[in-house]
This record gives sequence, structure tokens and C-alpha cells, in this order.
Amino acid sequence: MKGSRIGAWIAVIVGASYFIIPLLGTLEFSLRMRRGVYSIDAYASVFTDPQFRATFGYSMLMALLTIVFGMLLVVPTAYWVRLRVPRMRPIVEFITLLPLVIPAIVIVFGYLRMYNSSSVLPLTGNAMGTNILLVFSYITLSLPYVYRAVDTAMRAIDVRVLTEAAESLGASWTTIMFKCIFPNVMSGVLSGAFITLAIVMGEFTMAALLNRPAFGPYLQLVGANKAYEPSALAVIAFTITWLSMGLLNLISGARRGAPAR
Amino acid sequence: MTAVSAPAASTAPLIKKDTVIDWLGMAPFIIFSLLFLIIPTLYLVTGAFFTPEGEFTFQNIADLFTPSIMSAYWISIKVSLASSLGGALIGFFLAWAVVLGGLPNWVRSTLLTFSGVASNFAGVPLAFAFLATLGRTGLVTIFLRGWFGFSLYGTGFNLLSFFGLTITYMYFQIPLMVLILTPALDGMKKEWREASEILGATNFQYWTMVAFPILWPSLLGTTLLLFANAFGAIATAYALTGSSLNIVPILLYAQIRGDVLHNPNLGYAIALGMIVITGVSNVLYLMLRMRAERWQK
Amino acid sequence: MSFLALNNIQKSFGPVQVVQNFNMNIEKGEFISFLGPSGCGKTTVLRMIAGFETPTGGTLYINGKDQRPLKPNQRNIGMVFQAYALFPNMTVYDNVAFGMKVAGAPKAETDSRVKEMLGLIKLDHLADRYPYQMSGGQQQRVALARALAVKPQVLLLDEPLSALDAKIRVSLREEIRAIQRQLGITTVFVTHDQEEALSISDRIVVMNAGKADQIGTPFEIYNTPATRFVASFVGTLNLIEAEVIDPASNCIRIGDQDITLKQSLASYNGGDKVSLALRPEAGSLSEGIKSDTALTGQVVSAHFLGSVIRTRMDVGGNVISFDMFNSPGVTPPVAGETVTLRFMAADLLVIRD
Repeated sequence: MKGSRIGAWIAVIVGASYFIIPLLGTLEFSLRMRRGVYSIDAYASVFTDPQFRATFGYSMLMALLTIVFGMLLVVPTAYWVRLRVPRMRPIVEFITLLPLVIPAIVIVFGYLRMYNSSSVLPLTGNAMGTNILLVFSYITLSLPYVYRAVDTAMRAIDVRVLTEAAESLGASWTTIMFKCIFPNVMSGVLSGAFITLAIVMGEFTMAALLNRPAFGPYLQLVGANKAYEPSALAVIAFTITWLSMGLLNLISGARRGAPAR
Repeated sequence: MTAVSAPAASTAPLIKKDTVIDWLGMAPFIIFSLLFLIIPTLYLVTGAFFTPEGEFTFQNIADLFTPSIMSAYWISIKVSLASSLGGALIGFFLAWAVVLGGLPNWVRSTLLTFSGVASNFAGVPLAFAFLATLGRTGLVTIFLRGWFGFSLYGTGFNLLSFFGLTITYMYFQIPLMVLILTPALDGMKKEWREASEILGATNFQYWTMVAFPILWPSLLGTTLLLFANAFGAIATAYALTGSSLNIVPILLYAQIRGDVLHNPNLGYAIALGMIVITGVSNVLYLMLRMRAERWQK
Repeated sequence: MSFLALNNIQKSFGPVQVVQNFNMNIEKGEFISFLGPSGCGKTTVLRMIAGFETPTGGTLYINGKDQRPLKPNQRNIGMVFQAYALFPNMTVYDNVAFGMKVAGAPKAETDSRVKEMLGLIKLDHLADRYPYQMSGGQQQRVALARALAVKPQVLLLDEPLSALDAKIRVSLREEIRAIQRQLGITTVFVTHDQEEALSISDRIVVMNAGKADQIGTPFEIYNTPATRFVASFVGTLNLIEAEVIDPASNCIRIGDQDITLKQSLASYNGGDKVSLALRPEAGSLSEGIKSDTALTGQVVSAHFLGSVIRTRMDVGGNVISFDMFNSPGVTPPVAGETVTLRFMAADLLVIRD
């Protein structure tokens, strides 16, 4: 008993150092820009870079659009599967798992071939079309996580009873969807939104190959050309991930406190 | 069941009306997944079997077996295998420590929260973090040289290599393993241990004859999942090594950007090869998971 | 010394004392039940016998050997758990063979022993099944076979029937008892179900708040409960509050009626409150039965339960229920009616609190 506890502590300490040392290393490195003393010069350099602001803002916007349109696609579908077509469940679940199986680079490769300027749907022909394609690619990437989050939240409420109650009060289809279903699966929608934010902000492959000025390719570019700024950017990126995942944990934690189990 | 949108449904003689509504509701999702997931993938898969001129051929598949492409696959497989095995091993010990190690509860919740974050901390920033830590002027490199007089790079270590990429990937592989394996270890019933003990088994016999056989589908399955996870990843490797480490996703990236292989359809074949490898790992993972769940009911 | 001797066993978890001064001597081949509500310490005593918990005081001997320094895997004890606890990765055969295998028994010996055990539980035809392919009742029989395969000195059963359906519960408990008799194995059975304990035990230990309230045969436990707790937990006994009038003549008063007991009240003083127990089947309204005592009261209710009529009557604030056998000649009493209940004074027992 005693020996296993010491072993457990050793395992946890080794694991924790694996996690923490690179973070410390990054933080330390990001403060090293001025020779001999620690300074926040690297951060100042990053924040004053107009490219940083432009790409960060662009990716934020893309994340927001991905969340809005992703939810408009996923929530009604999950609702419909639960209410009307439960026999479709295995197929829908299989499809939502596919983005974990097919590498992102393969999916975007397909887009580039299918939606090039000489195709029926030349989405990559202009900037707006490519932006749309990028949002759709992000929806695809986040599908496994978002669908699961929403479907789990939907299991906790009885969508059928809720729908029938709303119908008996004369609610229209849109009222049911946006006034009854969405608010009741808010925990799922929010956790899906945060994981989407985390995925989109750091995403590189899609944006780079679609040639969009997103945060991911910008990071890569800075990494190839600067010394200390990349570390500052990594600290910023890690903070974003922490915030999104922290909020996600908070939400799912609150939900776990509910009668679910 | 009540028709959501049609008060006239009860009077309508059309037998198929409900079915039509059912399908209309599914239409957006089905159209979306066809257009942006399934057809693009199938486009590449079929493209792998045609020449640029549109004739059917197996030549693209055969061309995968040229040394340069094969070596890319081989490095990718090695990196994925090494990082998934390493991640699985360390992740297993961590999960074991928090579930069965008798540690205080806060260790467990902290580790799980941290794993949730770290498993999503991949891509370009992860490469920066490891460069800042184990690069030539990284914190650990300098620390080892300054305090122990140990030259990390003097041993032939290079972060921009197979080994460097492997330990970088393990940063998200370990937490992923912890996240998936913790529930599996939670499912190990206390009574199994007590039953084996009272039947005369030693601790070692319990682990080799009961615990490990029960856990191995979860362990192996999760390792396969980690393998697929690493195999498809590109951003970290690209930011870390540029195009100096010739792994499959980077080769494909270069091919997409500039047709470095001078045969667009060979690119399709490379993509097909990736899908096959990640697909097989995932299918095996799902099969093993079903088996594990059946036992742990 | 008895085969299994527990002497002055104590167990505390931190400041909480869950078992206090537990004494029990079990003879070879006996079937003993630990009966009590959840949290009474019965499972803790069982787990101390198995070696999963260490007593904080007292001694524990099996067959004259001190068990305290031994680990569970050195004690040669068989145990069946409430949740079956079969190894899910092994077939029925391998589960039963497990104990022999870890002991390094020769293959042929293991094989014949496993077959013998499977025959004993009548599951020979399911040897190749996995636990998840079987019903709860079947799994629990396999667990029993697995525990018996190693020829343990003592068999411990920790609420083995609680997770099963009512019907299987009855048939399996009879099967367990039959197998136990056949093998003559010393058995300790933990349960919270008094019917279960009464029906299969040689002796019962009724436990309450970490102590043994009474140890006795099912007959003794049911008919002469030693404490108020035993009386209320084990049976449907009537508990009647009474006042001691004259200890010398064993006279007590219930409401405003005086009764003379057979039991001595020498240790009481006049005016003391005492609790009395009366079995529901001990009394009758008919004058024809053999009786030496009577109580008069008002009928509160009368329920027709098929073979019996259960009547509840009020005697000076005490509600007493009693059963009469149904027959076409009997007219059930009606509520409000004044009736006289006749019984033998010897059936009215004084109970400790």
C-alpha cells in the first residue's frame, strides 16, 4: 500500500513536469528578448504588430461564424434525430466521427480539387467564397466534439415532451427550436462553442492551404522569421486554450453536478 | 408522434408525408456532410485510381512504393508509433496513479482538467513551446549545460528530428491517454481484486491474470487512437522542422502547394494511403472499445 | 477452542467505532448468519475474517491458528460477493479454475475439481460461457463454485442474494444450504433479510450498531428475542408498554388491566416501565383455545389476508395485532367492537431495551 502510493506520486510528478516544463520554458524564453534582463518586449512587439491584430481578429471572426453556423446545423439535426428519425442515429454518429478518421489535410485537399475556379461550385475562386469554405471546413473539424456535446445535453432533457408541451400551447416550429430547444441545451451549445474556439484559433492546415490570413499561418510565419515573438505567441495561444477549456470544464462540471448521474 | 409543422397531417391522405418531413429535417446535415466531408474524400479516393487524363490505373498506388514516398510513410509510422506507445505508457501510469494510487482527490481533478487543456494544445504553438524548452537555446538545454555541464546537443540530440518530434507529440498524446483511460480504470471493480486475493492470488498474479487482460482492449484501442491522431497531424511538425523531416502529411502539403511529385493523381494516392492507415486504426479502436465495454458492464 | 473463534473483536475507522467487543464461536460445519440493518457492522466483521480489514483489537482464530498476521491470500477462505465479482475476461471454467491455477495445482487435478464444482452447481453445460452471457443467478452460482473450488476452511457469503430477483433468491438460498450441508463447510452468511436468515441458518447473530444483540438458533431468535431491537427487526412481534405493579408476584399493568407474568420480575422495582413482546399468532378471540390470560380492547381494523385474518386492537394505547386462521365459521370482528384476546401468559415476554 505504502509502496504503491510512492510510485503514484512519482508518476504524477514525472507527468506534471512533462506538462509544466515546456510551459515554463516558453514563458521564460518569451521574456528573454532584451539581453541580460527579463522584459515583456516580445509581447509588446507582438501586440504592436498590425499583422497580429489582423490575423487574430480574422480567426476570431471565423470562430464566431463557425460556432453560429455549426450550431444552426448541429442542434436541429440532433433534435430531429432524437424526435423523428432515431433510426438515423448510427449513421449520423458515424458521419460525425469521420473528421477524426480523415486527416484535415486530406479533407482540405479534396476541397481544393472540388471547389477550384474551374469547377461547378468555384468557391475558391474569390476571397468571399474561400472564407465560406474555411468556415465550412471548421464546422467539419469541430463536428465530432460539437455533436457529442449537444447530443449529451439533449439526452438530459426530454425533447419529445418539451416539443409536445410547446405544440399544445400553439408554438410554431421556429419558436420551439429557438425558445425551447436551444435554451435548454445551452450547456451543450456552450461547451461545443468553447472547444470550437480552441480548435479554430490554433488551426493551421486548412487556413494555410486555402491561403487565408488566419492566426495559425501567421504563427507559423512568425516562427520561421523571429526568435522571441513565437514564444510570446505560444503563451498567448496557450492562454486562449486554457480559457476555452477552463470554461468548458466549468460548464460540464456544473452539468455533472446536476442529476445526470 | 405528432407532426411538427403540419396541422393538416391528420387529414392528408398521403401516406408518405411523414417520411418526407423526416427526410427534409435531415436534409441540411446530409447535404452538408456530403458536400464538405464525404464527396471531397471520395473524390480523392477515386482520383487515386485514375491518370490525370482520366484513364483507370493502378500506377498511382504502385508509385507509392517508390523509396522517397515509402520513407515518408515509414517515418510517419515510426513517429506515430513511438509517440503513441510512449504516450500510452506514461498516460497509463498517470491514470493508474490517480485512480488506484491512493492520491488525494485534488491531484486527480487537477490532472484531468490539465489533460483536457493539454490534449487540445497542439499545432504551431506546441512547436514553439518545445523550441523554447529543448531548442539549442531552450530553457532545459541551457539549464543542463549551466548546472551539470551536460551538453544535450553534444549527445547528437536534435529537436528537429524523429526523436524530437516524438517527444513533442507526446505532449498531447499523454493527456489524451489519461482522459480516455481514467474511466476504464474507474471501471475496474474493487471486488475483482478482492476475489482474486481471497482465492490466493498474489498482487502480480492479479495484474497479469485479471487486471491486465481486462484492460488490454482499452489500452491497445487507445494506443491505436493515439497513433491515428499523430499520423494525421501536420501543424506541429511543419512549424518545428519546416520541410526538413519528410513525414507523409508534410509531403502531401508540399504536393498540394506545388505538385512536387509532378503527378497530381499521385497526391490522391498519398491521401488514400493516409485514410487507409488512420481508418484501420480507428476501426480497430472501435472494435476493441466495444469489447472492453462488454466486459466492464 | 471453536473452529472459528472471534474474541473481543474491535474495529474503528478513525473516531468511529463500527464493531465493538464482538465475540463469536463457530463450530466446524455450522451455518451462521449475521443479520442486521445496513451499517450495523456485519459486513465489517466478515471482511475482518477474510483479512480485507484489520481488527483494531481482539483475536481471530481459525482452526486454532491466529489469523491476524495472515494476508487474505494466505488464509484459505472462500468468499462470495454481492455483485458476483466474476472475472469478466474468463469463461466460467477459467473462473472456477482460478484459485487452483494461482496455487499452481496440476492441470489434471484442476480439471477434475472444476468439473466436480460445475456439477455441484449444475452448470456443467455452461463451462465455456463468459459472465456477461449469463443471468445474475447463474453468475452467483459460478461465484459459489469458484469460492468452493479451493477447498476453503471457511466460506464467507456477503449478501450474495441481494442483487437477485425474489424468486431466484429463494431457490438459490436453498441450493446454497444444500451444498453447504453436503460439503459440511463452515459458513458465515451476511444478510439484512430476516426471512433469509431464519430459513437457512443453524444459528443467527443479530447485530445492531456494531454489537451482537443476540446469538441463537432461528427458533430462539424469533420466539424469545432478547432485546427490543431483535424483537422489532426479526419478527412482526407486538411490542407492548407496561408498568411493573408488584415484582414479587410478577404482576404488571397494561392500560388499566393487570396481568401476572410467568417470567420473573425480580430485577425490577414497582413503577418501572417494561416492554413486552407477544407473537401475533399466540393469541385468539375464541374461547375454546388453551389460555390462562386475557386482554380486552377495541378493534382498530381487521384485514382479510386469505388464509388468516389479521386484527389490530387497542389496549390502553398499545396496538396489538394478532392472526386468526380463516374458516367459514369465523365472523371477522368489525372496527370499534370490544373484544377479548386470550393467550398463554408464558407467551408474553419481557424484553430488554
